[in-house]
Formats: sequence, C-alpha cells, structure tokens
Amino acid sequence: MSEERGRGRGRGGDKDKGKGDAPRRGGGFFRRRRVCKFCAEKIDYINYKDVRILAPFLPERGKIQPRRISGTCAMHQRKLQTAIKRARQLALIPYVTD
Amino acid sequence: MSQTRQYELVYIVTPDASDQEVTDLHTQIEQIIQRFNGTLDKTENWGRRKLAYEIGHHREGTYVVETISGSGELMKEIDRRLRVIDQVIRHLVVRVDEELRVAERTREARKSNQARRRVARGLPPEPAPGESRGDSDMDDDRELEVQR
Repeated sequence: MSEERGRGRGRGGDKDKGKGDAPRRGGGFFRRRRVCKFCAEKIDYINYKDVRILAPFLPERGKIQPRRISGTCAMHQRKLQTAIKRARQLALIPYVTD
Repeated sequence: MSQTRQYELVYIVTPDASDQEVTDLHTQIEQIIQRFNGTLDKTENWGRRKLAYEIGHHREGTYVVETISGSGELMKEIDRRLRVIDQVIRHLVVRVDEELRVAERTREARKSNQARRRVARGLPPEPAPGESRGDSDMDDDRELEVQR
C-alpha cells in the first residue's frame, strides 16, 4: 500500500530509545525492542474476530503480553487489549490456560 | 430521533441445534430488524467451531456474525431477545461504525502524507507497483530525517 510510516514515526521514537537502553541493562537476558507490529504492517483496525492477529500476543498462559516485551505502541496495545477481551467473551481465545 | 449506527452481532448457538434451528434464529433476528426499520448488511455463518473454554458444558458452538445498521433501541431489543433464547449460549454486540471510520481516517492520512512526502522528494505521488518495499523503505526514512 503505502511506503512510509506517516504518523507511525512518533511511535517509532520510543523504539529507538529502547534500543539504546537495552545493552546498558547488562548481564543476562534481554529482548531487543521491536517495532510495533501493527504500525509496521499498517493494520489500522484490529479485528477481534481474527484470532491469527491476536495469537502472537498471547503467551502460553493466555495473558496479554505486556508492551515492554512485544514492543507494541501504546495506541495499538490499547486497541489490541479491547480486541483480545472481546475475543475472550466469544470463546475464541481462552481467559486462562493451565 | 434515533440515529442509524452500524453494529456487529456475534452469537454462538448450541451444538445440539440443527441447521434449521439456526436459520430460524436468523429469521427471527431479521424480523426484529425489520420491525425497527434497520437493515441487515451482512451475515456470516462460521459453522461449528471449538470453544476456547466450556460454556454451560458445551465444548463447541455454531458461530454466526451479522452486521446490522440500525438504532440503539433495535440492538437493545436483539440483545434482550438473545438473552432469553436458551439455544444461544453467548452473544456480543459491538458498535463498529466509529472504529471503522477511525481506521479509514488513519489510512487516508497515511496516504496523503505519503503523497506529500513523495512529492517533496521529487517523486510521483503514487509509488510504482514495482517499487521496493520492506527494509529499503526504512532506509529511505532515515535519510529523509538526516536531510531535515
């Protein structure tokens, strides 16, 4: 579709900061801060009926993956949150998995 | 008085229900929509699907998705009716027009923004179909930032 990030740039800002921070934390395990998946793929509407979009943000336990790990921007994390909660109501994804 | 809005209705019917009963339910909803002067924009039957967790001892259910334009009163009535019907084990009504409008707006903003920036770089506003995508356009962005 389009070639550039547009408003996504503003959100890209905290990505860069994260990159700078990560090595300083030093010692042990760190995950590289990634770009927000929804900004990168230009998904404007997070559909709660599409389990395939939501699945990567649900680790085994079925909890919503925090932003600090997934790298999702604040706006999309918020939208993702409502989408996941709706999908849970419809038994498309579990509330908990033991 | 009441405004027309677009809603999405998803309901799950018991796996015990026959196809006939599912269509009956659908016609029932259609009748309510007609009574309230709404329109049924789209219906989708996902068929039988495994539930992520048990709902009232059911492990499966038939999913039906309907896109409806109508008033809030209409949806209230549908919501009330579905609550009463035992065959429907779960339902959800979501207002979608606002969200879709927002998505549309961001898409357009991105498009015009892209066109503007492409013109600023002396390129035609629309990218040619064969033009590179993915990683290379990230490099483009960074270059632009340096120039500023």
